[in-house]
Amino acid sequence: MALHGITRADMAAVNLPRRKAVNRLMEGLTWLAAIVGVALLVIIVWSVARRAWGALNLDLFTKDQVLFAIGPVHQGLRNAFVGSLVLVGLATAMALPVGILIAIYLTEYARPWIRSSVSLVLDVLNGIPAIVVAIFVFGLFVVGHGQSGYAGAFALACLMLPLVARSVMEVLLLVPSSLREASLGLGVPRWRTVLAIVLPQAMGGIITGAVLAIARIAGETAPLLFTSSIVGTQISWDASHALQSIPVAIFELSESPDPADHSRAWAGAFVLLMFILLLSLSARWLAARSRRRISTSR
Amino acid sequence: MPKTGIFIAAVVAALAVAGAATAKPSDTVIQGAGSTFVAPLVAQWVSPLGSAYGYSLQYSGIGSGGGVSAVTARTVDFGASDAPLTADQFSACKGCVQIPWALSATAVLYNLPGVKNLLHMDGPTLAKIFMGQITSWNDPAIKKLNKGVALPDTKIAIAHRSDNSGTTYNFTDYLSAVSPAWKSQLGKGVAVNWPVGTGGRGSSGVAAIVSQTPGAIGYADVAYSLANHLKFFAMKNRAGKFATPGLKGILGAASSDVKPDPKTNELSIVNPPTKFKLAYPISTYTYVIVPTSSPKAAELRKFLFWAVTKGQSYGPKLLFQPIPRPVLVVAEKTITKIKG
Amino acid sequence: MSAADFSTDVSAAPLGGRRIRLGDLLLQLVAGLAALASVVLVGLIVWKVIAGAWPSIDTFGLSFVWHIAWNPVLGHELYGAGSFLFGTAITSLLALALAAPLAIGIALYLTELSPRFLRGPVTALVETLAAIPSVVMGLWGILVLGPLLHDHVEPALHSALGFIPLFGEPSPSGSSIFTAVIVLAIMILPIVASITRELFLGVPRELREGALAMGTTRWEMIQGVVFPYARGGIAAALILGLGRAIGEAIAVTQVIGGGVFIHWSLFSTGDTLASKIAASYQGATTKIQVASLIYLGLILLVFSLLMNVAAQWIVRRVARRQGVGTNRGGLG
Repeated sequence: MALHGITRADMAAVNLPRRKAVNRLMEGLTWLAAIVGVALLVIIVWSVARRAWGALNLDLFTKDQVLFAIGPVHQGLRNAFVGSLVLVGLATAMALPVGILIAIYLTEYARPWIRSSVSLVLDVLNGIPAIVVAIFVFGLFVVGHGQSGYAGAFALACLMLPLVARSVMEVLLLVPSSLREASLGLGVPRWRTVLAIVLPQAMGGIITGAVLAIARIAGETAPLLFTSSIVGTQISWDASHALQSIPVAIFELSESPDPADHSRAWAGAFVLLMFILLLSLSARWLAARSRRRISTSR
Repeated sequence: MPKTGIFIAAVVAALAVAGAATAKPSDTVIQGAGSTFVAPLVAQWVSPLGSAYGYSLQYSGIGSGGGVSAVTARTVDFGASDAPLTADQFSACKGCVQIPWALSATAVLYNLPGVKNLLHMDGPTLAKIFMGQITSWNDPAIKKLNKGVALPDTKIAIAHRSDNSGTTYNFTDYLSAVSPAWKSQLGKGVAVNWPVGTGGRGSSGVAAIVSQTPGAIGYADVAYSLANHLKFFAMKNRAGKFATPGLKGILGAASSDVKPDPKTNELSIVNPPTKFKLAYPISTYTYVIVPTSSPKAAELRKFLFWAVTKGQSYGPKLLFQPIPRPVLVVAEKTITKIKG
Repeated sequence: MSAADFSTDVSAAPLGGRRIRLGDLLLQLVAGLAALASVVLVGLIVWKVIAGAWPSIDTFGLSFVWHIAWNPVLGHELYGAGSFLFGTAITSLLALALAAPLAIGIALYLTELSPRFLRGPVTALVETLAAIPSVVMGLWGILVLGPLLHDHVEPALHSALGFIPLFGEPSPSGSSIFTAVIVLAIMILPIVASITRELFLGVPRELREGALAMGTTRWEMIQGVVFPYARGGIAAALILGLGRAIGEAIAVTQVIGGGVFIHWSLFSTGDTLASKIAASYQGATTKIQVASLIYLGLILLVFSLLMNVAAQWIVRRVARRQGVGTNRGGLG
């Protein structure tokens, strides 16, 4: 065969040793890139784990923070863990239903021009830096009223919303149209088709999307910086006041001069990292499982 | 379908957390923010206040500037600032009072391994260092003040505040008083245009930079030097003595002004006159800023009365000198102005 | 053909006529309101940011954007975004310059060179890098990377390459623009790598195998077939990575040192638009200072939006040219 009149023999004749050398060099560099990429992750996770080791004890989860402790004091990050739980829980409660509704609207009801415009808006929302969202929520909810867990959760929800909406939309589109056709053809009203037939079918993907979105915002600091950062050190479940959170606690402890504070920061970082990795892995596993289900059910 | 079950369970759990989150606690929460200078002392007050009145005190050190903004925007119940409010800030705050509630000093910290604590320093030399004109620890100006001490030729690494800080106000107030060059080029304020150096957030941030950087120099409330075993200078006062930021030095400085300004309650004890021989020249009062009409007026009154009386006893071990009696009287009178 | 297209078809069928059901109306209304709410939210964010920045826009005008000043001393207050715009540009562009070759290399490895059994694990590992929260990256930057660069790398670079103004005096502490660049590069690496990898996977097999059959080496095939085919997508991936870098506030503010002036040396301290806001917003005192910080946020917002739109546009152009439908709302 020939390409532009050049035969294979021609190609082979041209400078083959040099071309082979260049090729080997490039392959080597590519291997190097992959090794660097993996090494970075291993180095960072190992750094965190190693430095967290000393402070990973029961106190971390059973004792609250003590600021400016004079002399050695047993303290931990319990107030931050609890606060994070409340904030992430509230954010999920705010963003998940709205995200699912948006996805339903875009896939089941919206005309093409509406779907592409709202998708564009969601992409814009996704691209807004978290610090700008923080300024926005501060101006909206904190000025005049004070910081609160609700304001912080709302800021987190603003970041979650486009992630949830987009992933649920993708999953809803995967549900075969034949299913909808069959249901509507049998006389089931559209709303029941969507809620009782399409949605459960897409449930695996919806959970995956929700879990990934939670993993994404669990470590967010910027949205909480101005909305839920003036906190006490006692454990609190009350979202009407600002709540401490793990990311903000790590942020504050990282700038402290005290090595004991640093240890606690590493410990908090390790737990946070493990939590996020666990969520990501579960999401991946769930996604693989539902992909297998959809492919076998076809 | 089990998966829907998991999903519903998760949503219910999230809502349950949300529901628990709306449960009201039994404690009254008093929220304040501002000066990191006074933060170590306020941290000592949290637990005794809880036992005495059942108040849950939440305080965050975001810098004096932040404290003033926060109380002005009413995002907190009280603000704390080492820099006294300006006339503009008073009017923006709409009916706030300023009460001196603690007294301590700004230590000038340094990190020189192998060199003794309490090196001598004076104002003009310090100003030159922070303006970037003296760059090495074995500069003749520093050697002259410390005859007989072997100083290394390490470069001086400057740490300053990156946020709006009352400690910066105190420090630059002093430098403006002792160095005409500083006064004209940089002036005094909660933040200035630092020509050189690394910025740290809060007094902790500055203490962190100093403790992690050999050759560093910085400024922070003296309590931070204690907690982190950092060395600090003995500063030359107007009487020519090298004073340390201990209780005696702070009390010496406080003796130079015991009459709070009748309108604003502010006191200035920086670089006291010659007759105060023991005075540490970079001492300062720190103030609590409270709106006179507040939904938590009764709690705030109780809290502040406690703070300026019983609360002062927690100070000395952190090098906060209990406020002198004449100032205490004025403070208590002002607290009664907080109504509902 | 979307699910929405079925409504008119099917409801006209067996049951006869179009019956407006309350349930349908309710669901459509509620879901529609949710969609409307998201649009309103974005509009509200843009409006509030402009409104918040207005006092500063009014006072300093457009020249604020390039004016190099940030003097908070009362009585002499003067603000400008110049040094932060410079900081954002230099940190993000350098981070991209470091991350892009690495990311493309990783993508090539995963699509061309790696043995099949390694593909899954390596992909997962690289994507896990993206899951590390910024505050943890910042913590690692302050306590591990910063001291390492300060003690070993910066002196070495300064003595070897000190004649270039970029490599001036090593920073006094570990906080510097250089540290921020490295941290940002690590943070944007996974995004660029994963998008590029998907692009390379999309290159038609016939094109690649055809070139190989012609006797080209693998590298020549990559140069001649894969890169030209994926060129537009790579550009979009780079822009998205850049967008991520300019918006990063937390990790950068932890390691960059908070300097206000522009220095050419990478080892000096600096600040970016996002990190300045994170550092100073809560403590801002006067109204004009708050407005100026929000003005910084507005500039940041405009740049992020521009990059987002640019990336989307490139993606659409590329998709159209290749005749491939992308049913994903966006990349990454």
